[in-house]
Amino acid sequence: MKAVIIIPAYNEEKVIGQVIGGILQQQALAAAVLVIDDGSTDNTFAAAKQTGVIVLRHKINRGQGAAIKTGIDFAISHGYEAAVFFDADGQMEAREIELFLNQLAAGYSVVLGSRNLGQAIDMPGLKKIVKRAALIFTNFTSGLKLTDTHNGFQAWTIEALKKIRLNQDRMAYASQVINEVARLRLKYIEVPVTIKYTDYSKQKGQSIWNSFTILWDLIIK
Amino acid sequence: MLIQFILVLIIAVIIWRQAVRLKNKELTVKQFAGWLVIWLAGLIIVIWPNSTAWLAGIVGVGRGSDLVIYLSVIFIIYFLFRILLRIEKIEKNLTKLTREDAIKTYDSSAK
Repeated sequence: MKAVIIIPAYNEEKVIGQVIGGILQQQALAAAVLVIDDGSTDNTFAAAKQTGVIVLRHKINRGQGAAIKTGIDFAISHGYEAAVFFDADGQMEAREIELFLNQLAAGYSVVLGSRNLGQAIDMPGLKKIVKRAALIFTNFTSGLKLTDTHNGFQAWTIEALKKIRLNQDRMAYASQVINEVARLRLKYIEVPVTIKYTDYSKQKGQSIWNSFTILWDLIIK
Repeated sequence: MLIQFILVLIIAVIIWRQAVRLKNKELTVKQFAGWLVIWLAGLIIVIWPNSTAWLAGIVGVGRGSDLVIYLSVIFIIYFLFRILLRIEKIEKNLTKLTREDAIKTYDSSAK
């Protein structure tokens, strides 16, 4: 299966090279790497480009959802058969990508990472509570029974990606993709993943306040 | 009263500014006319405050000034809503352009 790993990145010059390097080290992985620099104001673009992978650039910052969508469009127009979503901030384990591709090969259309089936290292306490609330909300609105939500570690077949409709530019897209899995009754499976909360990612990542922004986007738009 | 004088002056300046924008073709005649009606209505209310009492009596609101406030609030909320929708549309279009540009730029440099 011709796969591409889509990494949206916004101001990640410090870690992007390392994250890409981690993926390229996975020799068994026959997948292309695609970075979407979402209008970074630092040297993310150059740092990613240096590693030799495919790098696209949003001239202005449009949000993670928009960057993922650009990646999806690229994957579709360039003949890829599968796409893996991966974070640029170093929270995810590159060696786990294989688990996702194996499940796609086994016939699933969507593979969702779950830190609750796997493990979340050094996850801040308040975040746990918010994620729990978000999970209840997502399971309620989608009707699915997931063990984790807003986990960016996912794999999709291109056929499934061609069908989904995403119009959320910011973080709310993460809820929207789950709703699309439910709406289209896509065959999905969760796989255990390790999410490592480093000081860097904690500082860069979602603040609790963003949960309200996401809720606002989902309800109003 | 002094407040009337100040308000009339403010409205006059606003109408004058809009006339300038009309002349510079930043506003269409239709847009200008729409705003003119609103500001002229404001002018009438300021100069003859009792004119609103007559209208308030018809619709059953106690005081003329209350009616003006009610209508203003409705007007403002409606416009805020319109502006929010407009911004949303602009944001979507911006995203679309940015995303298309990213792929096009890559494809043309890869050739």
